[in-house]
Amino acid sequence: MTLPQTVILPEMPSLSKLYVNAAAQAARRRLLGAHDTATLPAEGHEVRGVKVDVENLTAYQHLIGETASDVLPAGFIHALAFPLAMSVLNRDDFPLPLLGMIHVRNSIEQRSPLVFTDLLDATARVENLRGHRAGTQVDVVVEVGPAGTGRVHWRGVSTYLAKGVFLPGIDKASAAEPKADFSAPDPTALWHLGVDTGRAYAAVSGDFNPIHLSVLSAKALGMRRSIAHGMYLASRALADVGPARGDSFAWDVDFEAPVFLPCRVALEISTEQGGAGAWKRSTFVAWNPRSGRRHFRGTVEALHEAHGLPVT
Amino acid sequence: MSIDGQSVPGPGAAAQGTTVPATRRAVIVGGNRIPFARAGGAYAKSSNQDMLTAALDGLIARFGLQDERIGQVAAGAVLKHSRDFNLTREAVLGSALSAETPVYDLQQACATGLETVVGLANKIKLGQIDSAISGGVDSASDAPVVVSEGLREIILDLNRAKTLPQRLQILSRLRPKDLAPLAPGTSEPRTGLSMGEHQALTTAQWKITREAQDELALNSHRNLGAAFDSGFFDDLMTPYRGLTRDANLRADTSMEKLASLKPVFGRNLGADATMTAGNSTPLTDGASTVLLASEEWADARDLPKLAAVVDAEAAAVDFVHGKDGLLMAPVFAVPRLLARHNLTLADIDYFEIHEAFAATVLSTLAAWEDDEFGRTRLGLDGAFGSIDRSRLNVNGSSLAAGHPFAATGGRIVATLAKMLHAKGNSNGRPARGLVSVCAAGGQGVVAILESL
Repeated sequence: MTLPQTVILPEMPSLSKLYVNAAAQAARRRLLGAHDTATLPAEGHEVRGVKVDVENLTAYQHLIGETASDVLPAGFIHALAFPLAMSVLNRDDFPLPLLGMIHVRNSIEQRSPLVFTDLLDATARVENLRGHRAGTQVDVVVEVGPAGTGRVHWRGVSTYLAKGVFLPGIDKASAAEPKADFSAPDPTALWHLGVDTGRAYAAVSGDFNPIHLSVLSAKALGMRRSIAHGMYLASRALADVGPARGDSFAWDVDFEAPVFLPCRVALEISTEQGGAGAWKRSTFVAWNPRSGRRHFRGTVEALHEAHGLPVT
Repeated sequence: MSIDGQSVPGPGAAAQGTTVPATRRAVIVGGNRIPFARAGGAYAKSSNQDMLTAALDGLIARFGLQDERIGQVAAGAVLKHSRDFNLTREAVLGSALSAETPVYDLQQACATGLETVVGLANKIKLGQIDSAISGGVDSASDAPVVVSEGLREIILDLNRAKTLPQRLQILSRLRPKDLAPLAPGTSEPRTGLSMGEHQALTTAQWKITREAQDELALNSHRNLGAAFDSGFFDDLMTPYRGLTRDANLRADTSMEKLASLKPVFGRNLGADATMTAGNSTPLTDGASTVLLASEEWADARDLPKLAAVVDAEAAAVDFVHGKDGLLMAPVFAVPRLLARHNLTLADIDYFEIHEAFAATVLSTLAAWEDDEFGRTRLGLDGAFGSIDRSRLNVNGSSLAAGHPFAATGGRIVATLAKMLHAKGNSNGRPARGLVSVCAAGGQGVVAILESL
C-alpha cells in the first residue's frame, strides 16, 4: 500500500505538537495572507510498526461500551492513526487551515480484524478537494494493516469541511441539497452525556482538541460550550449495534449537528435481516430529545453486502 | 442412634427405591413474608440480611422448623452490597434453622424469587433434597452506594503499588469529582433507558389507555385491602418494625385520585404519556420466603400441603433495539409452558401476573389477544387468547403491595398456593394457577401451580 510518493515518519506524530503547530500556522497565515493554491499535497505519510498500548485499548473499550476483547474496535484504529492523518493536514503545502475544520462524514471498512498484538503499518493521504456550498471539503484516506504485509485490513475516509474557505479554481457546489424533514422515531436508547464526556474521550483517543475539553477552552475557540467528539458518538453507536456486525463490516456516519455537553442524546437503532435471518445492516440515528434536532446518522453493514469481498 | 454430625442414610436405602424415585411431587407447605414498606419508610435502616432473617424466622416459627436441617435454602437480592456475597447463608446462620443447612444465593433481577422456587422444587422432584426454603429480599433504602470509577481505580492501583513514590504518583491522580459517590442506577445498561421509559414505549405500542391502567391499579389496591380485611394474610405474614400491612396499600384510593396524578414516564414520546406514580410500582423494601417439601417430608411433620409446583418456563426477548418490549418475555414463556401441558388460558383458575406497571400486565394481555402477534410472533393460528379478568390478581399484586424486587416471587407463590388450596378440586380436576414475572434484561419466568 506504499504510495508513489510517501514520507515515512519515524514514529506516530504527537497530536499536541501538531495542534500547536496548526495554531502557529493559522497565525502565520493571518499575518502573511492565506496562500491561494488549490492543489493537495501528492505525498502521503506512513508510519511502520505501530504498537498498541493494551491499557489504552482497554480504557477505550470500556468508555465506548465495547467488551474488552483482543480485537481492535474499528473506532480505536481511527483514533490510533488520527495523528498520522492530522500530520498530512498540517503540512505547509496543505491548502486549508487545519483548525476549525469540521468533521462531516466518516466512512470505514473493517475488512478483517486486527488484534492488539499485531504491529501495524498505517498510511494517510488527502484527496478529492472539492467545493461545498459553505466552504471547501477534503477527504483524508487512512489505511491500516499488519506490519510488513502490505495488506489493508482497515480503511477509513474522513471528510472535513473548511467552513467559509473558498479556494480559487474550486467551484462552489450548487444549491444546498433539500433537507428532508426529520421526525424523531421512538428511541431504543438514551445516552446521558456528562460535561466531562469530551475529556474522557480525549484521554483514550489522544485527541485533546480544546473544543472538546471544557466550556472555557471551547469558548476560546468561539464555541458556546464544549462538544462531544464525533468519533466518540459514532463509536458508541457502533458498540450499540452489538456483536451481530461480526468481524468485517462497513461503518458510515454523517455528522449533522454538534452535541453540546452536557446533554442527553436519544438513539434509534434498527436491524435489517438478509436471507435466512442473518444480519445484513443496522441503521442508527441520533437526536436531541428536547429539540428533536438530528445529531448524526449512519449504517453498519455486512461488508460482502456493501462493497464486495475485501481485496488485499 | 443420635450422632452430633450429619447422618448418612445406610447403604441400600437408595437400592430399595424409597429415597430416590425418578421424579416426585414438590409441594408448597406455606410461606411467610414481612409487610412491604415504601423506600425510606419503616425499614429504611434495615439491611437485606435483617429483613431476610426476619421473614425466615417467621416461617420457622410458623412451621416449627427450629434447629431443623433444611435440604437447601436459596434466596437473593437484586440490589446487593458486595459484602453480602453470602447473603442467604448469613441470614440462615442468624436464624433458628440448623447451622448445618446449606444455602445458595441467586440473582435473576425481579424473577429471582420465582427462580429460587423453581430450582429448589426441581431438586425436590429429583430426590436430591426433601425440604427447601426459597426466598428473596430487597431494600431500595439501604442500597449500595459505590465510589466513582476514578476513585475505585485509584484505590485498586494503590493496592497494587509497591513503593511510596508509586503510591504518591497514583494519589496525585485524585480529583475532587472522583469523591462524589454514585447511587445505583435503574437504567438498562445497554440502552440507558429506565424500566419505566422502556415500558412507556411498549405501552404506546399496544395503545394501552390511562383509564385501563388506573383501573387495574385501583383493583390491585381494592383486592389487596379486601384480602387484609378478611384475614387472608394472617398466616402468610409476620409484623416487622411496626408494620402489619403493606405500607403502599391505599385501599381507599379512587379513579378520581389516580386520574389526578401527573404522568412520569414516556413524556418525550410522540404518544400521550399515561404512566403515573399511581399505576407504576414504587420503590419498596421487603422480604419473603416459601417452604417447599416432598410429600413425605411434609406428612412426617404433619405440615400442610397447599399446592404442587407443576412446571416452569423462562424466556427472554431481544429488547435492545426494540424488537420486543423490555418486560414482554412472559408473553412468549406462557404459551410455551401451557402448550407443554396441553392447557389453554381457559384452563387456568387464577392468574398472578406481576404488576411491574399496570401497563405491563395490560400489554401482555393485549399481545395475547392480538391475532397478528399470535400468528407472526407466537407461531399460532391466531391470537393466543384472552383471560377472565375476574381471575387476575384476585388478592392484589405489586401495584398495591409494592415490589421489593427479589421478594415479589415469594409473595406471589405463597399467596397463590393458599388460594389454590382453598379452591381445591372442582370439575374433577385440581385448581390451577399461573404465575408470570417479568424481569430486567428482557427476561421472564412463569410457572404453573396446582392445588393439593
